[in-house]
Amino acid sequence: MRSEASISSDLTVLAIGAIFVAGLVALGFRLARVQLVDAAKHSYDGARQSIRTVRTAGPRGRILARDGTVLADNRASVSIAVNPEGFQRRTWNDTVLAISNAVDAVSAAIGLRSTLTAGAISRHVRQQLARPLVAWRDVGDEAIARFAERAGEFPGFSCIETEERVYPEGRLAAHVIGFVGRRDAESVGGEQFNFRDKEMCGREGLEAFYDSYLRGSQGELQVTVDARGFAVEEKTVSEARRGPDLRLSIDVAVQRAVERQLRGERGACAALDPRDGSVLALASAPAYDLNILVPQLSPEINERLFRNARNDYRNRACFETYAPGSTFKTVTALAGLGAGVPPEVSYDCTGVFELGGMRLHCARRWGHGPIDMRHALKESCNTYFCNLGCDIGTNALFSAARAMGLGAKTGIDFPQDSAGVVPSAEYKRISYNLPWYASDLAHAAIGQGQLLVTPLQMARVAGAIGTGYLVRPRLGADAPVERTPLPFPERDLAVVREGMCMVVDGGTGKRAGEGVAAAVAGKTGTAEVGLGATRRKNVWFIAYAPAERPTVAIAMVIENGESGGGTAAPKVNAVLKSIFGEAEELEPRVGVGER
Amino acid sequence: MLDRIKRFNWLMFAAMLALVALGTAAIYSAGNARSEEVFHSMWKANLSTALFGLAIYFVLAFFDYRRYVSLLAAPAYLFSLVLLVAVLLVGTSTYGGRRWLWFFQPSEVAKLCVIAALAWIYGSPEPRPWLRRFPGFLAACATIGVPALLILLEPDLGTMLALLPATLAMLFVARVWRRGLLTAVLAAAVLATAVLAAVYEAEKPGVSEDRRAAIMRFVPLRPHQVKRVKIFLFPDEDPHAAGYTLRQAMISIGSGGFSGKGFRRGETNHLKYLPQSISMNDFIFCVYAEEAGFIGSVALLALFGALLAPCVWTAYFAADGRGRLIAIGVSTLVFAHVFVNIAMSVGLVPITGLPLPFISAGRTFLVTVMAGLGVVQSVSIHGREEDR
Repeated sequence: MRSEASISSDLTVLAIGAIFVAGLVALGFRLARVQLVDAAKHSYDGARQSIRTVRTAGPRGRILARDGTVLADNRASVSIAVNPEGFQRRTWNDTVLAISNAVDAVSAAIGLRSTLTAGAISRHVRQQLARPLVAWRDVGDEAIARFAERAGEFPGFSCIETEERVYPEGRLAAHVIGFVGRRDAESVGGEQFNFRDKEMCGREGLEAFYDSYLRGSQGELQVTVDARGFAVEEKTVSEARRGPDLRLSIDVAVQRAVERQLRGERGACAALDPRDGSVLALASAPAYDLNILVPQLSPEINERLFRNARNDYRNRACFETYAPGSTFKTVTALAGLGAGVPPEVSYDCTGVFELGGMRLHCARRWGHGPIDMRHALKESCNTYFCNLGCDIGTNALFSAARAMGLGAKTGIDFPQDSAGVVPSAEYKRISYNLPWYASDLAHAAIGQGQLLVTPLQMARVAGAIGTGYLVRPRLGADAPVERTPLPFPERDLAVVREGMCMVVDGGTGKRAGEGVAAAVAGKTGTAEVGLGATRRKNVWFIAYAPAERPTVAIAMVIENGESGGGTAAPKVNAVLKSIFGEAEELEPRVGVGER
Repeated sequence: MLDRIKRFNWLMFAAMLALVALGTAAIYSAGNARSEEVFHSMWKANLSTALFGLAIYFVLAFFDYRRYVSLLAAPAYLFSLVLLVAVLLVGTSTYGGRRWLWFFQPSEVAKLCVIAALAWIYGSPEPRPWLRRFPGFLAACATIGVPALLILLEPDLGTMLALLPATLAMLFVARVWRRGLLTAVLAAAVLATAVLAAVYEAEKPGVSEDRRAAIMRFVPLRPHQVKRVKIFLFPDEDPHAAGYTLRQAMISIGSGGFSGKGFRRGETNHLKYLPQSISMNDFIFCVYAEEAGFIGSVALLALFGALLAPCVWTAYFAADGRGRLIAIGVSTLVFAHVFVNIAMSVGLVPITGLPLPFISAGRTFLVTVMAGLGVVQSVSIHGREEDR
């Protein structure tokens, strides 16, 4: 007879045995599930088990003008791509051949030639096997329709939606906006990815300068590939997100007005708000439609934009440099005042300035006679400023030029920002292997010779004279404002301002102020460049308005013009009219008697 | 002598030999998939270790366990404690744990010693009623707790997890303070569920970082353990890094299909998709299941069943407490290893480092298990006679 305790113990042993059986049976069931029911999934999986990570790119942010006008946007674009996994052959060569043949077949069906070469296919198969290969990028609706009709006949091909850049305003501010190219999505923080999808990246202009700002945040994709590397399945790990919009200080109305004036010319114009440096307009002519660069720069376009003599592509507003001509006299005047020359002092203009063997003619052949600073500015007297320059010397003149921001980059938030040249004896020796003559100083005093500036710099100079401080030009509406006070006393600035007002009020630039509902102060310039047959004139007008409290500073240069007053001033006048409106009544002027 | 041979449990022995054979084959296959030469002959080492284990098996089987258990249990237990301390002081580190003392792992030996010690105490022929009550429970806690703590310090959580069910089963069979024991088991189950739920709640998609941190403060797990639990809960979350092992394990096993790919033809193993460092040890079931298929896996389970059934049988018919407790302890230890190891390979439980008896290439463990089964065999041979 067994004890109660022993029976209880026996039962426990049996219970434990039952647990063993239950456990083993449970494992058996689980194994049946994994190895029998799900076997297909797992063995299929087993053959394609490697996982590749893909960096995906987010859509790029837009570029907006000051008033919200969209200057650069994205549009949906459809591309037809080959998925290499549809063309698995025993050897890689056969795979490449199969893809190539299939592309040709589809090409015939949809009536679009593919730019894919065997080399490109081969490269893709070697490097990007698990990713679709774009055969026709940015295909039109018609071709898509033809493809969709017969899609069943082309296994392995699919439409993929991407985005392309679009510039709704076409030519407007083309040089400023720049354009984008494509490159592999960037790796951030040293992460390792097997593949990186192409993303847009700025190549020129603001697209380049604000590239990292505009670029969307990147996403991640996991692609399951089989043992040979063909894609089997995709899974999005993190979604790519659109980049922020970039708002510009560019005023579309001003930009339009400026571009209208530049049409048909070669030249450039910069207009900015001298109070905070906001660039209102930055234009260069000839311009081009940015949309011809989308989806990619074709060889013909490349030839037209980059390699022709007209140099459409060249940004004349802040990259190209010009001799400032007489517009520089404003700076010379400030330098003279700074050196202690009273504005009332007169030099006698005989129509020619002679120094050693050099003879330099004044605009007025017979001379101005004795002339003071204000009138010399008004009449743009060469003799006066040559004398003044020679009297104050190289250092005084060029330190004033540097104080006005010449010879240095403006610091604009733009990739192209030429410093120009404020020459020196050393500069001349290095560049031309010539000594520095006194005549160089005389030339510099009237903005000729080795002196080189950009229109943007001159707009800044005009604004600085008007306000008393130098601003950093800025294109981004949120770029920081930087102002540097000028080292000239207000008294000196007032003299130059008066002179510049007189230029417009009956002086060489009188056509600039006609009918503008604001007082305009300006300075003409006619820079002679080249010698002999290539001798030509680049004409300038710089201005700020309203004269008492400037809100606009502008500089325009027209290549091969007649004169600053005759060619550039009327164009600036038109721009200023569009900004300030036309005056109610035209003041009758002496010499303007059409009635 | 004839008596003894008659009572020798041939099923248990045959199942063990078959398992050793399958294990050697699996190690051969897994070892040859590795690039390092040294692993190619691992199967030979396994075979010689098995021969050594067999010798111990026979010695332990043919002598009466009642003699040597009462004689050796206490010293062996104390000696194992010394070894566990020694391994912490002078042991060799591998894979983030200090588990090796010269050529063996003391924690494996300790498992058997703890079982022997418990059997010795609770299976004593003298009636000691206090042992069945709360003080006896405390004594058991101390006996198990000290080596358990030392093993946890290595750290070797897996070994702990296999030892615990074995000792628990023994205490149940020994009828030690059952009410408390049941409560403890239930509490453990509740705690485990709570931890799982907490990790699930913290790691499920869309939980904010703050909330996660707030929840995880109450979870008593180390980061790598949390990770394993997370992989168990969300196997597809991160198939590249953390979830890789489990994913590959499932693929290996699943791709075996019904009849397997054949000996030495396991692709995931030979193409080195299965992590090499564990394919011979804790994940060897994947190598086996891929090559042997569902048939082979079930055959393996059947062999373990054929090994365990006679053990339970022996426990049931054992005339004295010590024999019964040893048989239950050893069989539960083997079962716990088998169950947890295979279950983690097929994603039923979180990944834990635990070898599969006879199949994994663990030499200390092989000898330990064979020795344990030797004692059970001894119980089978000698245990039915009343002690005279």
